[in-house]
Amino acid sequence: MIITGLVVGLILGFVFQRGRFCVTGAFRDLTLTGNTRWFSALIVLVAVHSIGLFLLNSFGVITLEAEPFPWLASIVGGLVFGFSMVFAGGCATGTYYRAGEGLVGSWFALIFYALFSAVMKLGPGAEFTEGIRSITLDNGSLPASMGLSPWVFVVVISAIAVWLTVHHARKLKTPMAALPPRKTGLAHLFTEKRWNPFATAVVIGIIATVAWPLSAATGRNSGLGITTPSAHLTGYLATGDAELIDWGVMLVIGILVGSLIAAKASGEFRVRVPDQATIIRSIIGGIGMGVGAAIAGGCTVGNSMVSTAQFEYQGWVATLFMIVGAGVAAKATIKPRKSSAPAPAAESRTV
Amino acid sequence: MKQVLETDGLVCPFPLVEAKEAMDGLTGGDELVINFDCTQATEAIPQWAAENGYPVTHFDRVTDASWTITVQKA
Repeated sequence: MIITGLVVGLILGFVFQRGRFCVTGAFRDLTLTGNTRWFSALIVLVAVHSIGLFLLNSFGVITLEAEPFPWLASIVGGLVFGFSMVFAGGCATGTYYRAGEGLVGSWFALIFYALFSAVMKLGPGAEFTEGIRSITLDNGSLPASMGLSPWVFVVVISAIAVWLTVHHARKLKTPMAALPPRKTGLAHLFTEKRWNPFATAVVIGIIATVAWPLSAATGRNSGLGITTPSAHLTGYLATGDAELIDWGVMLVIGILVGSLIAAKASGEFRVRVPDQATIIRSIIGGIGMGVGAAIAGGCTVGNSMVSTAQFEYQGWVATLFMIVGAGVAAKATIKPRKSSAPAPAAESRTV
Repeated sequence: MKQVLETDGLVCPFPLVEAKEAMDGLTGGDELVINFDCTQATEAIPQWAAENGYPVTHFDRVTDASWTITVQKA
């Protein structure tokens, strides 16, 4: 029943778009502005997902497997991916849902990301990817290497998540401005109202948890993932090999369509063509994300949400180096335009 | 005084980066009108205003995927 992947993807794409969930922004802001709000929301997501995964594992619904730690690939892949996602203007998932919003720059980033993930996983780069990922340390997770129950880590990250949520809720000096409502009831809630990032994080954590047993039921024993499915989708399109179509491929198709539905329903879809420089940056970013995610064994979803929730070193180390890579790229490239001095204005803008 | 900052076509974080820069040049009581078409800025700009205690005097959609917000320096 790989169709459940499509359903989960549709919901996830919708939630990502409405929640404006942006891991690139979360990592970039840490160094660019020192703002920890979105990163804190990501920690909440990981905490919810870890509770869910270890509950399912305890009850025997799913079986979490012990993996070694590909340390060199996590570092190198994380750096490349983190640097590239700032160029692309969004991580892998971010690129999927911005493509669904009609951003043509993200269309370019998405195509090159999917192409190069296939190059590095199925094509001529596969040998290199396997080689660097075979340099490993045993005991790939914190609980395994420390001989502690995973629940110790679940409790610790949950406590941190609660503290961060309270900290950020208290930070605002004035209430946040909201768009004047034009809809009521459920239409307002789902296609207009601003979603609190922390609430969105909890929802994504729950969806990610439900995803695992649904995926496992089709023979794919893992949770949310974007990069391998993107590679497989590209491989299928190029070869017609239907064996490549699995739960994960249905998931990423669902994310794209789900975000398109969310954007259309909310009046937030418009084909937006960027300037030449942005298109070139998007292509370079897309290539780097495909290469980096293949090497790191996952993007901000596979590594920073799912592997982290299992307390694997791969997830946490790749995440750390994505933050470093994103920081380097942000410092190097993000500045106001030179000619940005705003003009004194008397009239309102015409459309 | 009211100043207008056009950021249409810029993807995040650039609308906010430029808004901060423009705000630095204003004095208390001045208003900055920011026009933007990056969806994430519907979250990032009001959030920035709220964290800095800047009143938002106007915030609305212009057309599909296009917004305008007026933030007052305080």
